[in-house]
Amino acid sequence: MQQTFPITEVELEALAKNSIDSVFSTMLDRSASIKQVIKVEEDTNTEGMQLPVDANTPMIAGTVGFLGNLTGIIYIFMELPLAVEATCKLLDMEAHEISDDDHELVNDAIGELTNMIVGTFKNDLSNKGYECRMTIPSILRGSNFSIEPAEVAMRRIYKFDCDGRSFVIDVLMKEEN
Amino acid sequence: MRLKILTVDDSKTVRIIVKKSFKGFDCEIHEAQNGVEGLAMAAKVNPDIILLDITMPVMDGVEMLTKLKSDPQLKGIPVIMLTAEAGRENVMKIAKIGVRDYIVKPFKEDVLVDKVSRVVDLRPAGEAEPVQKKIDDPIDILVVDDKPAIIQQIKDGFGHTPWNVHGVASTGEAIDFCQKKLPDCIIISLSLSEDAAITLFRIIRSNAKTKYVPLFGLSVKTAVEEQARAQQAGFSTIIHKPIDFEDLETKIGKAVNLDASGKYFDMGEGFMTVKLPKSCNAAVVNEVSTYLKSKTSEAVNAGISKIIFDAQGVASLNMDLIKLLLHSMKTCRDLSLKYALTGNDVVIEESKKFEESKDWKFCDSLETAKASI
Repeated sequence: MQQTFPITEVELEALAKNSIDSVFSTMLDRSASIKQVIKVEEDTNTEGMQLPVDANTPMIAGTVGFLGNLTGIIYIFMELPLAVEATCKLLDMEAHEISDDDHELVNDAIGELTNMIVGTFKNDLSNKGYECRMTIPSILRGSNFSIEPAEVAMRRIYKFDCDGRSFVIDVLMKEEN
Repeated sequence: MRLKILTVDDSKTVRIIVKKSFKGFDCEIHEAQNGVEGLAMAAKVNPDIILLDITMPVMDGVEMLTKLKSDPQLKGIPVIMLTAEAGRENVMKIAKIGVRDYIVKPFKEDVLVDKVSRVVDLRPAGEAEPVQKKIDDPIDILVVDDKPAIIQQIKDGFGHTPWNVHGVASTGEAIDFCQKKLPDCIIISLSLSEDAAITLFRIIRSNAKTKYVPLFGLSVKTAVEEQARAQQAGFSTIIHKPIDFEDLETKIGKAVNLDASGKYFDMGEGFMTVKLPKSCNAAVVNEVSTYLKSKTSEAVNAGISKIIFDAQGVASLNMDLIKLLLHSMKTCRDLSLKYALTGNDVVIEESKKFEESKDWKFCDSLETAKASI
């Protein structure tokens, strides 16, 4: 049974878009646009769903949670080549300086990028009157990710395009009593 | 002494970005991954400023800040919070503990540099121990004036010097110029439209790289209103048109801290010659006095024991110059140095009018003076 939610679909999409715009333009000198919005709901996605990206592309996912009036978790799934490009831009490095085994460097950069994105999202929530605290970022690597609906939370997937490369924001959120 | 910046952040990425941001400045960056390491590092290196994240494992930024402010040795260190968490609650909480400022991630590197430079004296790299330029070294002077004739006049006025005068017509071009090349001195026309001179002054003063560049306002003497506005904004020196280039050269020399001793002192063949210029006004006499002691020591250390005060080029003798010569001659006597004076007809005639100088003996050439001692 899903809860009624205090934030509208339009507001949530605007929150996601603003947090991406702010971080990408400030830190990466790049822009990204929303290509697809998916509502992950119990009645329509009982079996779960594939992440809307090429299942064979290696991905890196940054995760940061937030706790407060609204509690939730946000995942940023990024194609690995885009993650490496973002790392290079953040750290002023060339792609050849980052070896395939240099997971720590890319993980940390994407963790920080996720932290900034979720921080911006959280700050916008705070401006709407929902105070919350953030958790420390964590990182997942893999491919062929699937997403399942959450029983008591709202889950929305936003697929973005950044210069021909895809990344996905997965927002999972519920209101605390 | 190099500035010490401590960055406390669990993200290596942020610590690298901080390092990158301050690459062009004379500072050393120390790093810590959490509050515990941050406190230990602060006690060890005694940084000039701390950039502190909030959300960190082991000990977060708020706890570290609280402990820092309760430590008598560390509580004076200014702290700027660098955090992804803004929000009223957070800002209020950290403000109560005592931070100088906070920066919300994401942030532009120049915002970080700007905020830090408002708290500590951040200087571009290589400026910490500057090699003093000499008066005959090339320096770069940027002239911002929409009248090409004035720019040309200044170029011509400094034609006899090795100084490079660069002219631009607008504030935008001036900012672009400063980004590419840091001028030694900037002269801004106060008559630029829409108070552009004041706007440019503020931009230059608020930028960490250009904030120490001497800024001169250029104005017609009668335009008192624009001069008053410029002085109110903080212009320390206003140059009047028509420009007195001798005066401007002296002012630039002082503002840029050029070693002007070469203009007045010459050593060779066992003599030190003090060349007194045509106009020996109070500013010039003061400048010569500034160098006199060190140059006399330099001469003595080089084995020189004879000094000639060459007033052949002086247009008119005045009390400031007489006092300078009296003082110099006394120094020579105290140090057992031999000395002689040269002068032209005007100087010799005027010297007889003053009680202090009426008995001075002048030679009519350097050769005669050298032969006399």
